[in-house]
Order: sequence, then C-alpha cells, then structure tokens
Amino acid sequence: MKRERVLFLKENYVLRVLKSFFLAGLFIIALLLVLVHKIDINIVSGVSRSVMFVVTPLIHVASLPAEGLGYGYKKIAEIMYIHEENERLRQENQELYLLKDRMRALQTENRIFKKLLHHIDIPQTKSYTARVIAENDNAFSNSLILYLGNAADFIKSGYAVVNASGLIGRIEIVSGKYARVTLITDINSKIPVVSLKSRDRGILVGNNTRSLNLIFPPLMAELHKGDILVTSGSGGGLPPDIPVAKIKRAGVDTITATPLFSPSELEIVKIIAYDVMPDEATAKELQ
Amino acid sequence: MSEIKNFCAILATYLIPPISVILIDLLFYIPRSSDFWNFTRLVPFYTGVYFWLSQRPDAFNGITAFILGTVADVISATPLGINILTFLFLYYWGTRLSTYFNVKKFSYAWLLFALTIFITIAFKFLITSTFHRSFVPLNQTLLELLLTITIYPILTCYYIWVERHYIHLEERYEKI
Repeated sequence: MKRERVLFLKENYVLRVLKSFFLAGLFIIALLLVLVHKIDINIVSGVSRSVMFVVTPLIHVASLPAEGLGYGYKKIAEIMYIHEENERLRQENQELYLLKDRMRALQTENRIFKKLLHHIDIPQTKSYTARVIAENDNAFSNSLILYLGNAADFIKSGYAVVNASGLIGRIEIVSGKYARVTLITDINSKIPVVSLKSRDRGILVGNNTRSLNLIFPPLMAELHKGDILVTSGSGGGLPPDIPVAKIKRAGVDTITATPLFSPSELEIVKIIAYDVMPDEATAKELQ
Repeated sequence: MSEIKNFCAILATYLIPPISVILIDLLFYIPRSSDFWNFTRLVPFYTGVYFWLSQRPDAFNGITAFILGTVADVISATPLGINILTFLFLYYWGTRLSTYFNVKKFSYAWLLFALTIFITIAFKFLITSTFHRSFVPLNQTLLELLLTITIYPILTCYYIWVERHYIHLEERYEKI
C-alpha cells in the first residue's frame, strides 16, 4: 500500500498507550541496571562479561584487515627511512654503551646498600604482551579492548597496563581471550601517584579528557610544571615507580597533569601481573 | 514448509536492523591513528536507532533499542544502563517526532534527526554527569554531537542499502 501524502499521520491510540507502558518498563529496567552498577559493580560485571564474550571476537575479526593495512604501511615507511634510522640507532647505541657501564656500577652499589639496610624488595612481577583491537576515547568513557590470546588465564582485573611511555590504565574485565582496560584518562580512574622529584603524594583522577587532576596533594607540596608523576604503589594495586603523567599546571587550587601516553601509539601494550594483596585468610589475620 | 519460511522471514526482519548497526559499528571501533575517530565510535548506534525506528517501525522496537544499548555499554565501557537509557530515550523521542511529521524530503529528515540527537545527547550528558557526580567535558560532547549529525547522510546510505536488499515487508505502512 502506498503512503498517503499528508503531514500528520493518524495513530492507533490504544496501541500507543500499550507501547508507552512497555517502554516505561524497559526504562525502569535500564534505570535499575544503572543503580545496581552504582551500588555494586560485581553483580553487573557478569552481564558485561557475557556480552563481551560475544562481541569482542567480532571486533577482532573486523580489525584484521585494518591491522594488515597498518602493518604494510609501517613496513613501507620503515624501508623509506632506513638510512636515517640506522644513523640514529648507531648514535643511540654509542650513548647506551656508556650508560650500560654506569648502570652496572650503580646496580652493584644499590645491591650493597639494600643488604646493609635489610631492604625488602617488591615481588618479582611477570608481564604479558597484548594487542589492542578496539579503542574508545570520547566524552563519556575512555577504554581499550585487548586480545590476550593464551595469556588470558594469567590476567586478572586490576593489573596495570603500560606501554613504552608509561602507565596506560588497568584491566577492568577479562572475558574469554579478551580484556577491557579502563584508561587513566577515564572519569572512573583514580591512580595513587608520587612526584618523582619532591616525593609528594596525591591521587590522579581522570575526567575523560587529556587533562588529569591531582587531588589530595600535601599542603606544602613542592610540585612544579614539568614534574613527572609515578605510581606510588599505595594500596598494593599497582607496582611502584611506573611513569604516569607530567604536571601541566601547578596552581594554588588545582594541579593538572597530562598523561605520558598518546592515544595514537596504542597498538601493543604490556600487562604487569602484580599480586601483593594478601589472600582472604591472611587479610583476616592481619586485621 | 511455507510456515517455517514465513517465520524465518519475520525473524530476519527483526534481526537485520540490530545486526546492521552492530556490524558497521565494529568498523568504527578499529584502532586508528587519528583522534578524530574517537568521537565517532557510537555514531552508527545513534544513526541506526533513529533510521530504523523512523523508516521501519515494524522491524524495530524498544527491545532492539535495549539490546543495542547493552552492546554499546559493554564495548564502550560506559556504566551498564547509561547507553540503554539513552537509546530508549532516542527511541521514545524519535518515534514521537517521526510519527507526527511525515517527512519525505531528506533535508527535513536530517533536520529532524539533528533535533532528536541534540535532545538525546543532552539527556546522556546529564545522566552520565549525575552518575559520576562530575560534569563530563562539554566541548567533547558537542564535537560528538556535530560529528553524529554530519555523518548521518553517509550512514543512512548504508542503512537504506541494507533495507532494500534484506528486508521485504511491504505491509509496514498499514501498521503506522
């Protein structure tokens, strides 16, 4: 049947009322989900995990052609600039040789000092490499989806995710061979940090932009523009001394910092398996 | 046999809209070097929900909007429920506006979409800010809104192609 040429269409009002009730029901369910998420994230994480289990392999398959094209483009660019790159690497190698000797001397010195002070080292951490297969970086959330492959069994929620620049985020959910990462720029992210220079502590809070806020710094904190903030290791969730951000503005009321990683360089990342949290029985004993 | 065939045809009619939206969105989630793409990740969802509810109300209902919202929440790491609420809100307003205005010209349809999406993103901005008890960045929200409106014609071409090739229910106009 052909549609009539009228501006206003007639509607079946009974059907409309029924539809409205049905829609209201769906609205209430959605609202309840938001409230449950706010109260206790563990209940809804099961739902998230199940949906992720279905959707992420599809994203992975969709990303394969783009991955191939990206790889080809990278290889061509590498061949084009191979001479300049060789020259740069030679120079860098010479500088590294000098640094290597200096580092060995410092390592030995450090070992002696630690022995003298009866210093307890942080536990040895294992790391796993993973590929980014999807990213989401907008006004409402900042996250990544990683393909873990065979390492999936060893990855847990809360593990730190880093790249060459420093900390990127933390594992939020692991589902099958995939994991979702909450970036440090996400509005839900809170990272305990310490200034590399002055050792002043604070909490670095994301707000879905490239500008992070440092909250709860000490009253007489000596923080300046350009200072590097590293993880403090407080709370035992993250290993200490991972570079996180650089201070952009150190005002009287607000201190803002820029993350060290750039979203465009997130291709392959490293997951640091850091477990210092005591098991349930030990935690009870300690309490 | 014909009953099974009919059942499959009806099922396909209901499944094609959400599948078409999810498939095109997977392409938007592929990591790219330009930051511009970050603001377009959810655009196929908004455009898809609006297109199907306005063009094929017989094949798209509140449950489909709910399912798409769940998928969007999970892959974008938004708190579960935020995108579901947003898509249901878009579904509610989109249905209201597209039912009252029998728009034939594409430019008017685009204008109507711009109005609907403005209300929807404003709603999402408010609920997300309330959830986090802190305002999400307004400039990025506006950028996402503008990109959503700008990309609408391109994505609509794709959805029209899907509709013409995969859905063949012509009694839809009687239902409106």
